[in-house]
Amino acid sequence: MSSSRLKGSEVEDKGIILFLFPGQSKDKSFTVAVSEDPLPRLETSIDMNENKFVLNSHHDGGEWQFNTPAMSMVPLPLSAPSLAGGLMNQNTRSSYLSTPMVEVFSPGQWNHHPTSSPNMALGESNFASTSSINSIPVGKPVAISPRGMLVSTAPRIFPTSLPHFPVDSAFVERAARFSCFGSGNFSGINFFSSSPAMAPSNNEGIGDQVQKDELLQVDHESLNGSTMKNQGDQNSQIGNGESRVVIFPEDGLEGNTGSTDAALNSSSSDRGVNKRRKTVPDIERDPVQGGRQSSSETTKENIENKQKVEQINSKQIEKNGKDNSEFVKEGYVHVRARRGQATNSHSLAERVRREKISERMKYLQELVPGCSKVTGKAVMLDEIINYVQSLQRQVEFLSMKLAAVNPQLDFGIEGLLAKNLLRTHGSSSSATGFSPEMIYPQAYPSQHNLVHTGISAMASHSDTFRRAISTQSTASGYKESPLQVQPMHIPWNEELITQMAYGANPSNPQNMHSKADDFAI
Amino acid sequence: MYRRSFKDTKSSLGSPNPNFSKPMVALRFLRALSLVRCSGPGARSPSYRARGIRRAAYACMAASAGPRRAWSRALLRKIRRRPGRGLRRPRAVIRRRRPVGGGDPLEVALRRLVPGGGCMEYCRLLEEAADYVKCLAMQVRLMQTIVDSASHVNSID
Repeated sequence: MSSSRLKGSEVEDKGIILFLFPGQSKDKSFTVAVSEDPLPRLETSIDMNENKFVLNSHHDGGEWQFNTPAMSMVPLPLSAPSLAGGLMNQNTRSSYLSTPMVEVFSPGQWNHHPTSSPNMALGESNFASTSSINSIPVGKPVAISPRGMLVSTAPRIFPTSLPHFPVDSAFVERAARFSCFGSGNFSGINFFSSSPAMAPSNNEGIGDQVQKDELLQVDHESLNGSTMKNQGDQNSQIGNGESRVVIFPEDGLEGNTGSTDAALNSSSSDRGVNKRRKTVPDIERDPVQGGRQSSSETTKENIENKQKVEQINSKQIEKNGKDNSEFVKEGYVHVRARRGQATNSHSLAERVRREKISERMKYLQELVPGCSKVTGKAVMLDEIINYVQSLQRQVEFLSMKLAAVNPQLDFGIEGLLAKNLLRTHGSSSSATGFSPEMIYPQAYPSQHNLVHTGISAMASHSDTFRRAISTQSTASGYKESPLQVQPMHIPWNEELITQMAYGANPSNPQNMHSKADDFAI
Repeated sequence: MYRRSFKDTKSSLGSPNPNFSKPMVALRFLRALSLVRCSGPGARSPSYRARGIRRAAYACMAASAGPRRAWSRALLRKIRRRPGRGLRRPRAVIRRRRPVGGGDPLEVALRRLVPGGGCMEYCRLLEEAADYVKCLAMQVRLMQTIVDSASHVNSID
């Protein structure tokens, strides 16, 4: 990566840890860890000669180059322990989250900790899976995770000193993908649901961003050799802010390339396997980076993220925290509103319900004639009610009419029945010979009689029925081709006549008797 | 999630019964009509027959709408539950309608019109009402067709 690659714990401590945490107090464990680590650290790409600090974002290969003139001032070996001390001191606040980080900071403990927390074990697996680490002893991951933190916090810390911030399209895509893979729901909004402890830490972290900006300046000052002030406080802020980054090895059960460099040639296959997990830190980093990524085309969620980030950048600390909490909370429903009363869960449900109601109203509007011109829900509802009432009255009236009609209608009805049968099954049954019970045996048990009587009636009054059928099919909504009905009568009538001539209607003679008067007409 | 729910509402707007078709409804109704005419003690009295035909019409409509619609279930239950025949269910089981409406008279009226609408949520009520209206309109058209053809036959005869 660079010609003069500085190795050893010195560089590591100087470069990264100093970079992040200008500390003040020594911590015993951490110093031990640093001293115990004799091995070449990761290629942190700190070019001391060039006064250039190159951070390679591990996940996508986009490089962030920080030319900090202050980095030449780096050698402050005591700062690293101070960092750890600050972290250790402040770990009591978010103990669960930050303990793995502290352990990460101490490589000796990393290796030899038998009672290490599961978080730590997971983190270890995480680091072990990175391809570039394979040749490097275990002390190395220690270096990695601070750098992951560094990456996450770096754009905040050095916003002004960076010459360029390359747009990371791959990251954006992955962030968008995370919205699908994220937590089972496709809203992609609750990024933080994968680890329950992550949301509060994020709130804290984002809430502390402004203080990190302060830290930036303080960092510059400290790097310039000025005295360090307020460092306990700042370290605590960093501890909180970084706890989110440290979390992800803990909740990433698998090897996560998220904390390795692209400069370290982390294999892309690892990335592909651990896609889901890796997106977690990506998304977490997103609110930090998003302001920078203006030119990339993304999916909707990511755009919304950006907008949110812009909001965050424009607004100040408390609002950030609030936004983030809402961001976590809003969860399942896709909404445009981001804050305020409208993102309340009750109002979200109410909105969904209203959408459904309006959709069904539209559907009803299509169904009810004359309702399409009407505007206003009350009027529409009134129209619908009137229509339903009129329909019910019509049914009543028509049933009365049907009942009042001469009972001679019977064969006519059955003729219609036959016609319907012809329509429905005509094409298939006309070839083989009509047997409705074979077609629908259980549905129409008494069909046979009706069909035969109907068709016999048709045989006697074929003209009238043809006329009736044609008028009906034109008058009614049943527009299923009177052409189809017409040619079918003749073979049917012939067949039925032959059937009746042979007495081939054994199923219901009494029905024939009951209809005898009808036939006589 | 949102997309899925949207799809669900789309599908729920369609007819839930795949066997639902106009000829089937017509067939069913004609069969029921013939049965109404042939059966019963007072088969010749027009009022009785009118009641029977109306009941047959509603029953056919509900049966062809399928059991997944609440209105069809309620309608069939109402039709089958004739006074004085068999044991009535205990009232606590049947009557599970809650006080609804919230004071909107139009909504209350719609609930009264749609069978089974008393215990529905408003959103569901609209959905069921849409389906009910559709089936009812079709039934009316069917009956109108039959009456027309019958009158036509009568006029010819």
